[in-house]
Amino acid sequence: MKATTRKDLIAWLTRLMEEYTVIAPAVVGDNVLYKRVASTDEIAFDFTRTDMSPKEHFFPDTQAILAITKGHGEVSLAEPPLEREQVVFGVRPCDARGLKVLDALLLEHQPADAYYAERREKTTLIGLACPEMWPGCFCTSLDSAPDEAGDMDAMLTEAGDSYLVQIVTKKGEDLAASLPLSKASQKRPQPKLSSESASVPSQEVWRQHFDDGVWARLADRCLSCRVCTYVCPTCRCFDVRDDVTQSGVEGSVIQRLRAWDSCLSEGYRRIAGGHDPRPTKMQRLRNRFYCKFHYCPQDFGPVACVGCGRCIVACPVSIDIAEMLGDVARLVDET
Amino acid sequence: MSESMETTIRDRARDLLEQEEVHCVIGYERGPRGDVRPAFIYQAEDAERLVWNQECGHNLVVYLHDRKLPLRKGEEPPRVAIVAKPCDVRALNVLLHEGQVARERVFVIGIACPGMWEDGEGSPLQARCRRCKERVPVLYDTLVGEPPEVEDVEEDWADLAELEAMTAEERLAFWVQEFQRCIRCYACRQACPGCYCYECVAEQVDPAWMGIAIDLPEVFFYHVMRAYHLAGRCVECDACERACPVGIPLSLLNRKIAKEVADLFGYRSGGDPQTPPPLATFKRDEDLPL
Amino acid sequence: MNAEFEPKIVGFLCNWCSYAGADMTGTSRIPYPPNIRIIRVPCSGRVDPLFVLKAFQEGADGVLVAGCHPGDCHYADGNYHARRRYALMHRFLDFMGVDAGRLCIDWVSASEGKRFAEVVAELTDQVQQLGPWQPPQRGKA
Repeated sequence: MKATTRKDLIAWLTRLMEEYTVIAPAVVGDNVLYKRVASTDEIAFDFTRTDMSPKEHFFPDTQAILAITKGHGEVSLAEPPLEREQVVFGVRPCDARGLKVLDALLLEHQPADAYYAERREKTTLIGLACPEMWPGCFCTSLDSAPDEAGDMDAMLTEAGDSYLVQIVTKKGEDLAASLPLSKASQKRPQPKLSSESASVPSQEVWRQHFDDGVWARLADRCLSCRVCTYVCPTCRCFDVRDDVTQSGVEGSVIQRLRAWDSCLSEGYRRIAGGHDPRPTKMQRLRNRFYCKFHYCPQDFGPVACVGCGRCIVACPVSIDIAEMLGDVARLVDET
Repeated sequence: MSESMETTIRDRARDLLEQEEVHCVIGYERGPRGDVRPAFIYQAEDAERLVWNQECGHNLVVYLHDRKLPLRKGEEPPRVAIVAKPCDVRALNVLLHEGQVARERVFVIGIACPGMWEDGEGSPLQARCRRCKERVPVLYDTLVGEPPEVEDVEEDWADLAELEAMTAEERLAFWVQEFQRCIRCYACRQACPGCYCYECVAEQVDPAWMGIAIDLPEVFFYHVMRAYHLAGRCVECDACERACPVGIPLSLLNRKIAKEVADLFGYRSGGDPQTPPPLATFKRDEDLPL
Repeated sequence: MNAEFEPKIVGFLCNWCSYAGADMTGTSRIPYPPNIRIIRVPCSGRVDPLFVLKAFQEGADGVLVAGCHPGDCHYADGNYHARRRYALMHRFLDFMGVDAGRLCIDWVSASEGKRFAEVVAELTDQVQQLGPWQPPQRGKA
């Protein structure tokens, strides 16, 4: 096991900022978010869990995927410029797992999401193990752990004044080449686990309980806002719309924008002609849970939830995904 | 006091459900993690779940919009009982006036309210509660709790004073900074009892008032538009500000409009179900500063 | 104050009074600043606050909403609603950072060609003094 000092880590990050876009947890108002930082002073090293996942740096909330210029009888199309190399520092194991889930959902089937692919390829993940599990966390119920390094390129674990360093991939090794490392003088501290856990029901259970009254009761207090989907590391629905940015006698400039959307919003599934297969709150909320725990595993492989607990904390009416899993598990006991 | 009020609420709920006077009682409960959240009670034996304390801050009137349709074809929409604080009842008055809820379909369990804590037991009262003059709802079918003593609270627009003292440019810079954080999650709109449009202008495709981008021009426009659509209708319950995941001070927007509506038209929303809101009506002879 | 700055003013004029009044300005050969772009609406009461917001968002430096004099509305009471709406909008937009001087609501009758020219000149001058209005800029795409 290798180690580095806090001082060396900070110097290394500062050097990286010259060549890479460095993204790290930073305080923004009352929140902590993964933001591009220009100096290590901006990094909130002692953060717990950011309020939003780092997915926006791979799948931006607003992105121009095409620029269209029309004028003088001609039309030209321009792809967005190539992305810069990124380093995301301070990724938690749940968020790294979230990116692995997005990889399965966005890259493994054709056509792959080229915009996500480019950012993913050009980003190195330097993770920070969680010292403990916080209220809402249940990553251990989903095949992960607060110190799971496998989904990152390298992971650091804080130990007093130094950080223990685990290199996981070649990308991580290459980036960490300029980080002074020495032999670790201590064992890696174990994270404090919480007693919270959620049992994830089997695929058969989801199939059998689609029409159960539990969904209506849960959806009663749902507001159909979008907070849970936007803070979630694996939710990935989006909308595409053309936006005229300039228009005049000389011609016009149009951007094709892709922006986050949410299956929970009322009009999400409304189609031309006005038909809506999910007009009620219950249907939309149920769909979100089924997407995560039934459709995604069935169609793509992984469960599309990483147990980060952000939705539990962010929901204005305390809809709790872990509690929901418990309710569904109880249905099995009752039948 | 809280405990006996809690017992009274449970008793009323139980009676209403046993006598089949209502299909559902909307109130508050404590979740397994300890936080208070909205509760929907359909069986008399579940009335035990209902709680009452100073963490019951949600405006439950927003849920009445889900109860407008009949459960079965040919029937009347179901009757519901709702636990409502004075601010919540003001929102109900707005909905009654606008024909969104029929009075006979709602049984109001009115609460004489001591005010809501900002952040759990022992913390100060929320800003809206510190300003509140009416601790008893103006409309109810049954009242729970003793009307508390209310000092003659001066209307306090002090929260707006700092912004009002700035220049227009400074205010623009302030709002731009606040709205940077907005993720256009619409929690503010969804938590608001007054926002019930089937299709919000923010999501309209034709015309596309605001595009889909989650970026400053769009979110600025959205917040200004939403506040304006609530002019004369917002009851200053601050549900929007509490729902916001990134802490944008939305109450300042709605309160500014409420202040100007009070100044220009002598009106505060939600006082009764009959008086039309000022922007839905007019006076022939009024000299308004333009 | 930038002497080279030419404000872009959007004017929502009601068909029966103020638009006809503007027409009268033209037929009477009374000059007025060319900065205003006129959009004809049936009544000042038709002017949705969204129109005003959209104008500012799309780059207008100033907006004029003009209707019939109160009491003379072709549709009886449209302008009473407009009067209330824009008295409020003035104050609220100012609070949001759009200086009150950028939004003007006024009443111009069909025969007031000279008055229309005066209203437009005054607003253009006022907005010219305030300078260009920069709507919040795109940060992302």
